[in-house]
Amino acid sequence: MAAPVVDLNKHWSLEYPDLGTEPVPTEPCISSEYFELERERVFKKVWLYVGRVEEIPNPGDYLMKDLPAANTSVIVARGKDGAVRAFHNICSHRGNKLVWDGSGSCRGYFSCKFHGWTYNTHGELVNVPDEEMFHNFRKSKHGLVSVACEVWEGFIFINLDPQPTQTLTEYLGAQGERLSGFPYEAMTASYFYRTELKCNWKIALDAFSEGYHVNYVHGRSYPDTFTGKDNPMCHLPEVRLDGPHRSCVVYGNPDHKPSPVAALAYRFGESVTKRTAAMEQLPPGVNPNRAREFAFDIAGLFPNLLLHVLPGMWFTHQFWPLAVDRTLWEGKAYWPAARTPGERFAQEFNNVVLRSAWLEDTGTMEATHQALSSGVKKYFIFQEQEILIRHSYKVLEEYVGFYKKNGKNAAKKRGKLQAVRTT
Amino acid sequence: MTQTLLPSQFSDLEPLAEKWAFATQNQREACRRARTPGEIRELYDVLLTRMDAILDYLNQFTLENMPPEAQRLMYLTFALAEVAPYVECYNSNPWVPDSFEDIRMVAVHGERVG
Repeated sequence: MAAPVVDLNKHWSLEYPDLGTEPVPTEPCISSEYFELERERVFKKVWLYVGRVEEIPNPGDYLMKDLPAANTSVIVARGKDGAVRAFHNICSHRGNKLVWDGSGSCRGYFSCKFHGWTYNTHGELVNVPDEEMFHNFRKSKHGLVSVACEVWEGFIFINLDPQPTQTLTEYLGAQGERLSGFPYEAMTASYFYRTELKCNWKIALDAFSEGYHVNYVHGRSYPDTFTGKDNPMCHLPEVRLDGPHRSCVVYGNPDHKPSPVAALAYRFGESVTKRTAAMEQLPPGVNPNRAREFAFDIAGLFPNLLLHVLPGMWFTHQFWPLAVDRTLWEGKAYWPAARTPGERFAQEFNNVVLRSAWLEDTGTMEATHQALSSGVKKYFIFQEQEILIRHSYKVLEEYVGFYKKNGKNAAKKRGKLQAVRTT
Repeated sequence: MTQTLLPSQFSDLEPLAEKWAFATQNQREACRRARTPGEIRELYDVLLTRMDAILDYLNQFTLENMPPEAQRLMYLTFALAEVAPYVECYNSNPWVPDSFEDIRMVAVHGERVG
């Protein structure tokens, strides 16, 4: 059977006409007002990925996540009953931060270092020193404040809305269904990088959400990996937009010539650069035609997670806003636990290859933010192959409502006023 | 302190191991940053010709069951992994050109041994 022909020159705006083709304002990347609205209407309202179940395998294990994007910090803990729960990381007594370490085992209890108030992994207050000195006091009334917490495919999500309007499954919708069934849990050898970027979180997210940059940013590292004779500009073979979420396939050149060390590593493991036929591991909705020209699938799960799936490994990028101009970026790659030295060598190499690419990617972000903050350029000009970014700004604005609040054409008007003033 | 040596059939690689064989990624990264393009190229050229033999030898063991001399040899292969893209893509430069400052990109797994 002949492989279905993939149109590598698709004009995606025709598939998704609602997104339009107009330039998109840059203001959301530099406006403090926009940032405050993102806090209130996005990061305090939607499901956020905070960790994997493998990070807290045993009762009493916890992870702590500071979330400046939502003015809080959360504790995610596995209880004695095995269930995963989340709480605001704040002691009921005087509001001190309860847990300070990033992760570990609490051996059943969290104790505040200020006055020793102690909570169990269900969030119940179980011990108060000098309890008889408090007034009309009942410990049962002063537990930790719960945070909605649900697990999808081993990914732990929290929702800071006291009453989330959707379950996690409803929220992830068609993308959640499409990405289910991949053996994420069997790939636990993790390589984890992080850095604080002096840029808005969307500038970082956007840079990882298209293939147009590959020839330029990755010209040295990936000259023939994601581009080929039939696809010299790294066009996207597939795009899907599902509610607030989005995904695409990144093309992989079947004629990619591995470097000498890559050829060694390919013998012992999978990599974003290796063209493999082992597609059966992918869920049916990922690379549905089992095309050989497949490097990986990128899913942008709103608001701040990119999940990449390919045979033999998966990796994520996450972008945590710290301020309008500061972002915590986290890049994590996962392979099956290496059994032999050869497999371990392959992972080491494949990880360094990813790291080098991520250093190239992050290289533009701070300069972009600085330039945008001049206010000189009011609009981004997106092309067909940057449709994921266009979708991202549209969805974000639907949540934020900045332009709605400021009048439909407020951005345009401000741009015009500026133009008048400077002429 | 007695230094573990490489397995005897690879003893000619001892000077490279002294310079490059480290147990953690933080050490391997720091080592690469401190080397000249000439040193990086030398490690790459010498090791590449021996990798088939090295991997055949190493793969007799599982990761849980490696004698110390094999472990040291494995760490040397990780040094090749560390420098390979720098030789193959970046002209043996110890830094990725036109990129983010790599000391700011922190390996959270960087202190893990092995």
